[in-house]
Amino acid sequence: MNISTRWLREWVDPKVSDTELSEKLTMAGLEVERLAPVAPPFEGLVVGHVVNCARHPNADKLSLCEVDIGSGNNLQIICGAPNVRKDLKVVVATVGSVLPNNLKIKRAKLRGVESNGMICSESEICLSDSHEGILELDLSATIGENVRTVLDLDDHIIELDLTPNRGDCFSVLGVAREVCVNYDLSLPLTDYVAKQEGSKSFTAKVSSPSDCPKYLTRVIEGVDNSATTPKWMAQRLQRASQQLHSPIVDITNYVLLELGQPMHAFDLTTINGDIEVRAAKKGEKLELLNDQTVSLNKDTLVIADDNSAIAIAGVMGGLKTATLSSSSKILLESAFFDPIAISGVARSYGLHTESSLRFERGVDFNITKQALERATELVLDICGGKASPINECINPSSLPLLEPIEISREKIASVLGFDLDPKWVESKFKFLEFKYKAHKDSWTVTPPSFRFDVRIPADIIEELARLYGYDKIPVKKLSIDANIAHSSQSKVSSYDLSQSLVNRGYQEVITYSFISDEYHDLIDPSAKKILLKNPISDDMSVMRSSLWPGLLETVKMNRRRGHQNARFFETGLSFSGTSVEDQKQKVAGIICGNRFESQWGSGDREVDFFDAKSDVQSLLDHGKGDYSFEAAEHPALQAGQSAKISKNGQFIGWLGALSPVLQKKLSLPNLFLFELNQSDIEQGEISSYESFSSFQASQRDIALVVSKDVSSEQLINSIRSLKQNDLIDVNLFDVYEGQHIEEGKKSVALNLTYQSIDTTLTDEQLEQNVSKIVTHLESKFSAKLR
Amino acid sequence: MINKIITDAKKSIASAIDLKALDDSRVLFLGKKGELTDLLKGLGKLSKEERPVMGEAINEAKVKIQNLIESRKEELEEVALQKRLLEERIDVTLPGRNIEKGGLHPITQTLHHIQNIFAKAGFEIEIGPEIEDDFHNFSALNIPEHHPARAMHDTFYFDANTVLRTHTSPVQIRTLQRQKPPVRVIAPGKVYRCDSDVTHTPMFHQVEGLIVDKEASFAQLKGLLIDFLRAYFEKDDLKVRFRPSYFPFTEPSAEADIECVICGGDGCRVCKKSGWLEVLGCGVVHPNVLSAVKINPNEFSGLAFGMGVERLAMLRYSVNDLRLFFENDIRFLNQF
Repeated sequence: MNISTRWLREWVDPKVSDTELSEKLTMAGLEVERLAPVAPPFEGLVVGHVVNCARHPNADKLSLCEVDIGSGNNLQIICGAPNVRKDLKVVVATVGSVLPNNLKIKRAKLRGVESNGMICSESEICLSDSHEGILELDLSATIGENVRTVLDLDDHIIELDLTPNRGDCFSVLGVAREVCVNYDLSLPLTDYVAKQEGSKSFTAKVSSPSDCPKYLTRVIEGVDNSATTPKWMAQRLQRASQQLHSPIVDITNYVLLELGQPMHAFDLTTINGDIEVRAAKKGEKLELLNDQTVSLNKDTLVIADDNSAIAIAGVMGGLKTATLSSSSKILLESAFFDPIAISGVARSYGLHTESSLRFERGVDFNITKQALERATELVLDICGGKASPINECINPSSLPLLEPIEISREKIASVLGFDLDPKWVESKFKFLEFKYKAHKDSWTVTPPSFRFDVRIPADIIEELARLYGYDKIPVKKLSIDANIAHSSQSKVSSYDLSQSLVNRGYQEVITYSFISDEYHDLIDPSAKKILLKNPISDDMSVMRSSLWPGLLETVKMNRRRGHQNARFFETGLSFSGTSVEDQKQKVAGIICGNRFESQWGSGDREVDFFDAKSDVQSLLDHGKGDYSFEAAEHPALQAGQSAKISKNGQFIGWLGALSPVLQKKLSLPNLFLFELNQSDIEQGEISSYESFSSFQASQRDIALVVSKDVSSEQLINSIRSLKQNDLIDVNLFDVYEGQHIEEGKKSVALNLTYQSIDTTLTDEQLEQNVSKIVTHLESKFSAKLR
Repeated sequence: MINKIITDAKKSIASAIDLKALDDSRVLFLGKKGELTDLLKGLGKLSKEERPVMGEAINEAKVKIQNLIESRKEELEEVALQKRLLEERIDVTLPGRNIEKGGLHPITQTLHHIQNIFAKAGFEIEIGPEIEDDFHNFSALNIPEHHPARAMHDTFYFDANTVLRTHTSPVQIRTLQRQKPPVRVIAPGKVYRCDSDVTHTPMFHQVEGLIVDKEASFAQLKGLLIDFLRAYFEKDDLKVRFRPSYFPFTEPSAEADIECVICGGDGCRVCKKSGWLEVLGCGVVHPNVLSAVKINPNEFSGLAFGMGVERLAMLRYSVNDLRLFFENDIRFLNQF
C-alpha cells in the first residue's frame, strides 16, 4: 500500500523526518519498501497569473503571454502549449531556475521576441508523463507562491509491504495508529456525523448473517456526480496509486484508504426492488465493473436485488448498477463481511481488489457506520444532495468475539528469553488500545476490534517484542545438546557418491524436476505420468520418472554452445506416483564425446559402454552386495548395449547406450547413460579383519575358445560354482576374436590365482585344480583349450 | 715381462670406450686364458726360490689391473649416466595427463557449507518428499484453507490435496510426528513455486531449521542465527538485524537482514540502496503447529528458521542471475 506522508502526518505527526519514520515502521514490522519523493528537487518555480495572452507575431503556434508572478513587473513569456489562455494560474520557471531534466532557464529570443521564463507542463516537473499542455493550477493559488508549497511537492510516498496479519494497516488510520504506538502518541478522536435531510427509506435484508454480520446502506438523492473531484482528494488518491473516476467512486476509494472500510455506491435507479445479501444461485451470472462476466459459484456471497446478483460481496460491484456521471440517486453501502466468507473468493474468479484484500484480512467491525457517515459527508460536500437515514442490518451474535487472553509475565520471559518490565508492558497495552486487567504477574487482555491477528498469548508476546525492538532483545546461546547423534559408519553418504563421480571427472548438474510430455514418452513411456494441474509451461508439465531427460537436455544445450565432450551427473528424486514411497532418490550420469580432453601424448578415443560401466562400478564399490549386470532392453537404450543392474538379484538400475532412434529424434550423438536407485547402493559394511595366508600365491593362465554368446560373467560364475577352496581370484584379462579363431567364437584368457592358508601348493595340486576347471568348462560351454 | 703386461693392460683399459670394451680387456689380462693366468700356469716350471717371488709379483699385478679396471669402470658408468640424463631430459612444463576436473554444483556446495555449520551446533539433517499433501505443507503449519498466506505461495497442484511442497517446512512436521523432543534438525531440499521470471525460478532450494525443547527462546534464536550468518559469510563482525515479520507457522516471527556484502552497507543495486540484505526468516514456533503434531505447547517451545539457498549462493559467489543455476552451462559450473 502506498500513502503520502503528508496525509499520514495530518493524523499524527511525530517530530521526526520521513526517513526516520519509515525506518521506524520497518523495524516495527510494517516494511517500508521504498520512501519516494513525489517530485524531484528543483527550485525557482512560482505561481504565475496569465494577465494577457496574444498570438506570437511571427509564429502561429506560439503565444505571447504577460504573466504576473507578483514581483511588480509582469513577465513576457512565450508559450507553445495549446491550452494557454488569459486568466490561467500557471507554473512559471523563472530565469535562472533549473528544471529536473537539468534544463536551465535563460532569457531567450523566440522568433525575434524576448521570453523571460517558461510556463511548465506536468511532465516538465516530473509529476506525470502528460504532455497535454501546461499545468493549470487552481484559480485560488496565490500569485508568486513557491510551486513546491502550492502543489505540496515536498511530500513523500511510503510504499508499505504489509504482511497478511496486518490487515488493520491498510489505511491511513491504521498506519497512524501504528505510528502512535511506536512514538507513544495518542490519536485524536474523530466522530463523523453527516447532515441528514432526506427521508428515503430502503429495504435490505441479509439471508446469511454469519457471513455478513453488518450491512449498512443509505440513500442520497440529488447528487451531482458530474462535479469534479477536488484537487486535494485527487492528489491523495493519485499518490496512493489510485486511479481517478467520478467523484462518488473517488469518495468511496478515499474512505477506503482513509479508514480502511471498503465501500460501494450503487445507482439507486438501476436496482430492482430491495437488496438481499445471499449466497449466489447455481448458474447465476454477473457482469462486473471490469467488464468481465462471471458465472457465480454456489457458495459465493453476493448482493442481489429482486432480479439478480448485482455485486460479489466484498469483492467487486456489477456493471449494471454502477454509478455514472449522470447518476443522481445513489445507494451507499458499508458492510462487515466475515473474513472466512470472503477469503479466496476473489482469487477463484481471477480477481484481486482493494476491497477483497481488506475483507479477507479483516476489517474493523466497529468502523462500518463511521465510514458511512464520513463518505456521506464527503458526498454532500462535493456533489451535494440530501442524505436519508442509515438502514442497518446488524446481527450482533455473528460479529467476531473479542475474547480475553490470559498472559503471564513468566510466559513472556520464557518465549523471549528475558523479562519485560510490567510497567512498560502496561503502557504499551494502552497505546495498542488493548483493554487489560492486571493481576499479580499476569494480565487479562482484550484486543480492539481492528486487530484480527491478536487472539492468543503468542500474538501478544509478538506485539510486545516488536514494540520493544527485535534488535534490543538480548542475544543468548543455545544450551549444549549432550546427545550424540547416531550414524552408522557403514552408511554411504550422498556426498561420498557424488565425490566419487567428481573424482572421475563428472560435473554435477541440477535440472528441473518437471519435464515435457514428449520427453516422458520418449524415455520412460511405461512409467506413470504424473501431471501438474497448473504447470508453468508444457515443457514443465510432467514429474520426471527418470533423471535422464534433464541430463540429455544438459548435454544438448552444452553441445549447442560448443562443448562436445560431456560427463554430467545428477542426484535427485524421481517420481513414480505421488505417495512418499513413490519418490525415490536416484543418481544418474551421462557421458559422451572423447574419453579425454584432447591432449598431447595420449590417443583420442570415444567413450564407450565400459567407461560408463567402470563409473557405475565405482559407485557400487561404496556399498556392499552381490551386484550383477545382465543384458536387457530399455526403451531409451540401444538393444545389445544396455544392461540391467541388480543387487542380490533385485533390480537397482540401468546402464547403456542411448538408442539410435532417440539419438536421431533428439539430435544427439552416441552417448551412454546410467541411473541407480540411491538407497540400494548406500548400504556398506563395517570391515572385519580376516587373517591372510603367509604362503605364496600361484598364478595359472588358461585360454579358451568359446561361443561368442557365452558371457564373461557366465564363465567366471561357472568357475566359482566349483567352489575350489584355494582359488582366491579369477581375472579375465583378454578377449579376442578374429584371425585364427573360428567364426562365431571368441578366445577368452583367464588368470587363476591359488593360495592356501596353511601350505604351499604343489604343481600337481595346481594342475589338478586347473584341469578340473577346464573339463567343467568344456562340458558346460563346449569350450576348447587353446 | 710382468711390467710389460701391466703397461699393456694400462693402455688397453684406458682406451676402453665402454663397459663392453673394458670387459674385453679384463678377459684379455685376467681371464681364464688371460696373460696373467698364463704366467700363473707357468709358475710350476720355476725353481722353489723363484716361485714365491714370481707368484707375489703376479698377484700384485693382478690387483693393480683389477683396480685399474674398477676405476675405469666407474669413469665409464659416470659417462653413461651423464649421457642418459641428457637423453632423458623432458619438458616439465607440459601438462599432466588426463587432468579432467569434475565438480559439485554451486548449490550443492552451498548446501554442504550450510549443513557443516549447523552440524557443529548439533543439528541433524532430515529430508522429506517433494510431493506433499495439504496437511504437511499447509494445514499442520497453521495455514488453513483460504488463509491469505496461501496466495503468497503460488502452489503447484496435482489435485486438491496434493501439491509440490512450497517450502521445506513440511519436513518439520514429519520429523515431529516421528521423533519426540528434544529435536534439533535442519531440512535442506528442493521447493517449488508456480512463478518464473528474472528473479524467480519455479524450483529452488531451502534449508529450514527446527529446535524443539523445554527451553527455547527468541533470544537464543537470535544468537544462533547471528553465529550462523557470521560463519557462513566468514565475517566475525558481520552486522545482522532482526525485523518483525509474519509467517503463519511462527510467532513472534522475524526476518533477518545482513549488512550488504556487496557494498558493505553503503547502498547499491543489490541491496536496493538500503544497505541491508534480507537473508532469512525465523521465529518461535506457533503453538498451533506444535498442537498439530501432538506436542504440548505449554511444555515445549520451538524455534524455526528458513533460508533460500540460491540467495545465499548468489551473495557468496557473486552470481547476478538466479537462472544460471538451472541452465547448467559447463562454463558456469566449471567456475565453482
